[in-house]
Amino acid sequence: MELLNAIFVKPFADMAAAPDFLLQVLWEGLVGGVLYALIALGFVLIYKSSRIFNFAQGIMVVFAALTLVGLYEMGVPALLALPLTLGVMLLLAISIERVVLRPLVNQPDIILFMATIGITLFLIGLGEIIFGGENKVMITEQLGIPTGSILFEPFGGFVSIEEKDLTAVIGAGILVASLLVFLNKSKIGRAIRALGDDHQAALSVGISLSTIWVIVWFIAGVIALATGIVWGARAGVSFALEVIAYKALPVLMLGGLESVMGAIIGGLAIGILEKLFEIYWGQPLLGGNTEAWFAYVLALMVLLFRPQGLFGERIIERV
Amino acid sequence: MKTWMKAAATASAMAAGVVFAAPALAQDGSIYIPNLSYRTGPFAATGTPLMNGQRDYITLLNERDGGLNGAKLVYDECETGYNTEKGVECYEKTKANAVVTQPWSTGITLQVLPKSNVDEIPILAPGYGFSAMADGKVFQWAYNPPSSYWDGASMILNHISDNDLSSLSGKKIALLHLDHPYGKEPIPLFEKLAGEHGFTFLPIPVGLTEMQNQAAQWLQIRRERPDYVIMWGWGAMNAGALTEAAKTKYPMDQFLGIWWSGHDGDLKLIGDQGKGYRSISWSVPNSESSLMQDIKTHVVDAGKSQINQAEGEFDSVFYQRGIMISVILVEGIRAAQEEFDTQTPNAEQVRWGLENIKLDEARLKELGAEGMLVPFSTSCADHTGHGGGWMLEWDGSKFVKVSDIIQPDRSAIEPLEEEKAKEYAEANAPWPVNEECEM
Repeated sequence: MELLNAIFVKPFADMAAAPDFLLQVLWEGLVGGVLYALIALGFVLIYKSSRIFNFAQGIMVVFAALTLVGLYEMGVPALLALPLTLGVMLLLAISIERVVLRPLVNQPDIILFMATIGITLFLIGLGEIIFGGENKVMITEQLGIPTGSILFEPFGGFVSIEEKDLTAVIGAGILVASLLVFLNKSKIGRAIRALGDDHQAALSVGISLSTIWVIVWFIAGVIALATGIVWGARAGVSFALEVIAYKALPVLMLGGLESVMGAIIGGLAIGILEKLFEIYWGQPLLGGNTEAWFAYVLALMVLLFRPQGLFGERIIERV
Repeated sequence: MKTWMKAAATASAMAAGVVFAAPALAQDGSIYIPNLSYRTGPFAATGTPLMNGQRDYITLLNERDGGLNGAKLVYDECETGYNTEKGVECYEKTKANAVVTQPWSTGITLQVLPKSNVDEIPILAPGYGFSAMADGKVFQWAYNPPSSYWDGASMILNHISDNDLSSLSGKKIALLHLDHPYGKEPIPLFEKLAGEHGFTFLPIPVGLTEMQNQAAQWLQIRRERPDYVIMWGWGAMNAGALTEAAKTKYPMDQFLGIWWSGHDGDLKLIGDQGKGYRSISWSVPNSESSLMQDIKTHVVDAGKSQINQAEGEFDSVFYQRGIMISVILVEGIRAAQEEFDTQTPNAEQVRWGLENIKLDEARLKELGAEGMLVPFSTSCADHTGHGGGWMLEWDGSKFVKVSDIIQPDRSAIEPLEEEKAKEYAEANAPWPVNEECEM
């Protein structure tokens, strides 16, 4: 009886008793969710256009953030370091297409996946050599991102919102909206979607595989930079950022690997639900750290009913 | 383009090296000291300065003194990335010529521990590993000087209670810990002391993927309002916790950490906001000491160090702690050389040396490291030494010593050590126990 009370009554009573705290939990969940969605988007874009599951997305986040901070430490002004970092990510995209992907066209998916593991190892080594392994401070203020906090006092309590988190949510929203417009309204966006639908058909109407791959990897690089700035502002820039990419896996399972909307909704859903579960059920009943597995369980439950994910395309193959 | 190609080739070689590194072989007249290090991955930020310190002390001895009593010291790192499986691979790869193994992770230490009896290679885990390894009769090949995690937990409690644990009655103490064998290590002692002294103990685990996003953990802290938060963090977890503490405005004078949660680089992220944060430590940096000045002259200025001088690494707690760790190891090897009258002692002889370390104040002064390490000595039965530790406090730009040496409450820890050592031996039976403490 006590257990049933702890599962079905107490969490909701706690929410009602401290609504300001519930709002804080929801806000933190939303911020986490936006960040998960950003990482997942990087995976989705590349998978959508090339059917490659990009294992290197996590290290691209680290590499982009380290490049930005590294350039600043070398004396480059922050606002110049930003476009220069984008330039480095463009060079990286071109190099990956020329050196890794082009020779592997028409190879099985698993070969391309293994190639992205190779890219990961290469970027780890290159990053270590150039930037070292130390934790670096993200140049948040230098980039004009506000670092104060806004305090609200609803229901007699308080909700604290970090301005950099608010900027991250707004910035991510703008980035995602721009991406959606780009993918749906621009010629290149349509080409990316065409490649995702059918490589052969897309090639036959003159869409350049190489160009699209460079563009897609560059966009993934831009997303990686945005993710790196936001996460780096929270706890510094180091190779630890790479593990955050693992948080995108359940988002992809939930939302579907080829759906931009799935990545966004999946990320937000997981971010908010895992926080609510951790605070009201995980910590009191299971000793905490349920965020390590909650998202996977949620994704598995969805897969039981929709194997292609919430927004994934249903693949019907005739025998 | 050439530079780019060179960097690319080196990066590939480095990445491949993580997997395929071949162990350096000991040469005649030399002593092979492998180190299961990590300079890559999520824990690189805290691992790198420690490894740099360890390497630089060995380099100093080779450069300044021509080795140790005439024997060249061959220091060899095998990269584990703080990953337990890779750590075990590294142990297997380096054990053939090793006189000691340094696992550098509690998880790896626990995996290597059962192998040490079979391979007869001493494990040196200064300030980490399984606390019950202090019992030298049960753990004949394992050493964790100068203080164990349980010592550290006891010292922190003694400090916040002003040596009167009964004053903690009715208080709530949270342990914010990495969800890893290292982070869980102090829990048995905290639980025991909470039961005995009437304070509430609240463990709050932080998973690997949550290290940089500890919002949930700090929301729990906001809800539970603990009187103290004690951190058992490592790598990016420290920085994540400190930024969240600053963000939630948790009073820094109620936030303390174990010695691995006192890294200058982590605190620099929050600067002034971290003022008042304390960390127990069995080492204290002193860049003006004659030992450090020798390292500066013979290693750093000579271009033989890998430290990042622009980041102030030379003066940092972790770099100089890495040096102290190599001091402890070398004192063990030196004791073995003298006892067995050989330049190149074998692993079994080094084991004897490690349980006969005498690093008292006079010896530390002789080494030029006075006040940089808590004085301690080991014995056959006591593989830790229990030297205690100082409390360091972040002043906004650096750590400063704010206490005399704090001693752990050994009367509370010893029964637990005995109990857990016995449990371990029974669970791993047949486990050799040296009741008479004879080599």
